[in-house]
Amino acid sequence: MSAVERTPKAPSSWADLSPAERAALQYAVEQFLYDEAALLDARKYREWFAVVAEDIHYWMPIRRTVTRSDLEFEFTKPGAMAYFDDDYELLEMRVKKLEAKSAWSEDPPSRSRHFVSNVRILDIEGDEITIDACFHVYRTRLNTDVDSWVGRRTDVLRRSGTSFKLLKRHLFLDQTVIASKNMSTIF
Amino acid sequence: MTPNSQIVDTGGWDKAAIDALFDRTTGWLDRRVFCDAALYRLEMERIFARGWNFMCHDSQLSNAGDYLINYIGEDQVIVVRDEAGRVNVLLNTCRHRGNALCRAEQGRAKTFVCSYHGWNYALDGKLIGVPGQKTYYRDDIDRTRLGLVPARVESYLGFHFATMAEDAPSLSEFLGDVGRTGLGMVCAFGDIEVVDGIQKNIIDCNWKIAVDNLFDWYHVMYSHASAGSAGMLNLAEILHPNNQLVLLGEYGQAISGPGITKEMQARIDQMSDEQRIEMSKEIASSGVRVRPRSADELMGPVGVRSMGHPNIFPNLWITLNGMQMCLRLPRGPHRTELWWYTIVPRGSPPKLKQRMIRTAIHLFGPAGLLEQDDGENWSQSSRSSQARSSQQLGVNLKMGVGKDEAVVGGNGEHYIETCVNEHGQRWFYSGWTEWMAARDWAELRANHSPVPEGTV
Repeated sequence: MSAVERTPKAPSSWADLSPAERAALQYAVEQFLYDEAALLDARKYREWFAVVAEDIHYWMPIRRTVTRSDLEFEFTKPGAMAYFDDDYELLEMRVKKLEAKSAWSEDPPSRSRHFVSNVRILDIEGDEITIDACFHVYRTRLNTDVDSWVGRRTDVLRRSGTSFKLLKRHLFLDQTVIASKNMSTIF
Repeated sequence: MTPNSQIVDTGGWDKAAIDALFDRTTGWLDRRVFCDAALYRLEMERIFARGWNFMCHDSQLSNAGDYLINYIGEDQVIVVRDEAGRVNVLLNTCRHRGNALCRAEQGRAKTFVCSYHGWNYALDGKLIGVPGQKTYYRDDIDRTRLGLVPARVESYLGFHFATMAEDAPSLSEFLGDVGRTGLGMVCAFGDIEVVDGIQKNIIDCNWKIAVDNLFDWYHVMYSHASAGSAGMLNLAEILHPNNQLVLLGEYGQAISGPGITKEMQARIDQMSDEQRIEMSKEIASSGVRVRPRSADELMGPVGVRSMGHPNIFPNLWITLNGMQMCLRLPRGPHRTELWWYTIVPRGSPPKLKQRMIRTAIHLFGPAGLLEQDDGENWSQSSRSSQARSSQQLGVNLKMGVGKDEAVVGGNGEHYIETCVNEHGQRWFYSGWTEWMAARDWAELRANHSPVPEGTV
């Protein structure tokens, strides 16, 4: 990927950065996210997996429709049920499955478009940068299936050489009942 | 329980026409069962309103006021624990204009207040307040007759079920030995709790195709081959295609899938619970745990040998050796909502619980490595059932017809030991025609098939 060359050397905290350094880091982070999204849309799952850190946590809790007074229960907590709760090994299984000859849910392959926006750098701690972003994963399958998954996510990127590795991806979907027959997509 | 006697529109589907939809002796099923709108409406009446529907497990409602929404057919119901500790199932529709009382899918409430005009109801459904009762209604309204409509609720092993049919038999009679064995499988490792978070997704298919599939140990090797090659699980190790055990019960109840052989079970029977735990560790790669002695009573001597899938008729699937349950909720002839419940033994160590929860997430649900591949098969099978010429071909369920023997065990269990087969599906569909043809419970009781014995 081309974004690998773009990471500026940065101090360890956001507050220490000058406006120009912040802009450069913001640029590098966004380019990383766009390049990563492009790999998924191009179905280059193995190349995408190369930017995943070995201690990744990839998680999508279950969201519920609740009243204002019950908002503390809107999302399931870590350790409870979720749609995804993957480590490196499990994510690799997802990649292997997508590569398998008999992955019927992805053959004919889906067409996906990963949009990432509203990228905000929330925190820098040592080599790790926490960002918050909005996502829209649009998928079509066969001739008329259309899925649209929108939400917010928290990613943690770890500096690695001149680029980043994906250390954490926590996905907070805006749907409660998933209006799709499956989620065979990587978000 | 139904407030008014229903005028049932059968859409021309009389008993003879319904009986002709499925031929048990050949395994031929009319594809219209997956798409006909009149049949679907009749299912709402004769299967869902009439049957016992799974509502929740006791552990999901800890305190008074805890509630969740579930369905009886397409009727939304509030499942709530009241101050007396009882679980009530109430139609989620205000007796004034019909608005939904609860719009959240779960939560905590002291009362249920309608967002339209403010009618409010107690946790047991009583109408406790009508704004303007004196001033606008001038006291001419009888609140005692306008409570939320309750369903009949009964429970077994902490699983609460509800029916709208006053004439339904007890839950225990409806479940029969096979249904009780199925729920016993969930509790076989001791007292249980449902893990927080029900996965819910929608598939464009008829609900019965999803039910059909749970008995289907023929598709696993092919449909789910990629989960095997990705290293998720060793399919060959868990399938045991030549050791299949099928249990059939009244009213369409069935369990089907791999079975522990009699010889193996005889060896297990000699083991202490400690030895069984050790044995479970040795075969951990297969994901199977050997059940403790206490499971014998819950599942019976034949049932305890089942490692297969119970279905509590019509739509509650028990899977993963009782670790998960999936409810298939009809949303029209071509749409089904799937709800996944995950179970852990209450007393088990946190590490084990965590492993069980993660296994559940990774196998089933919309992102599960196994489940991902099912949706497309089901939706395309449903779709083709609507097309004029394809529809006339029927569904082929003939595997093993006339080739196997149903025998009766010491406790009256009816079971079949054979290879991969379609007995479970045939029993489900023949039960379905009997439910659909009977006008009331008296007729269903009188006319439903006895559980087979001899050649099946």
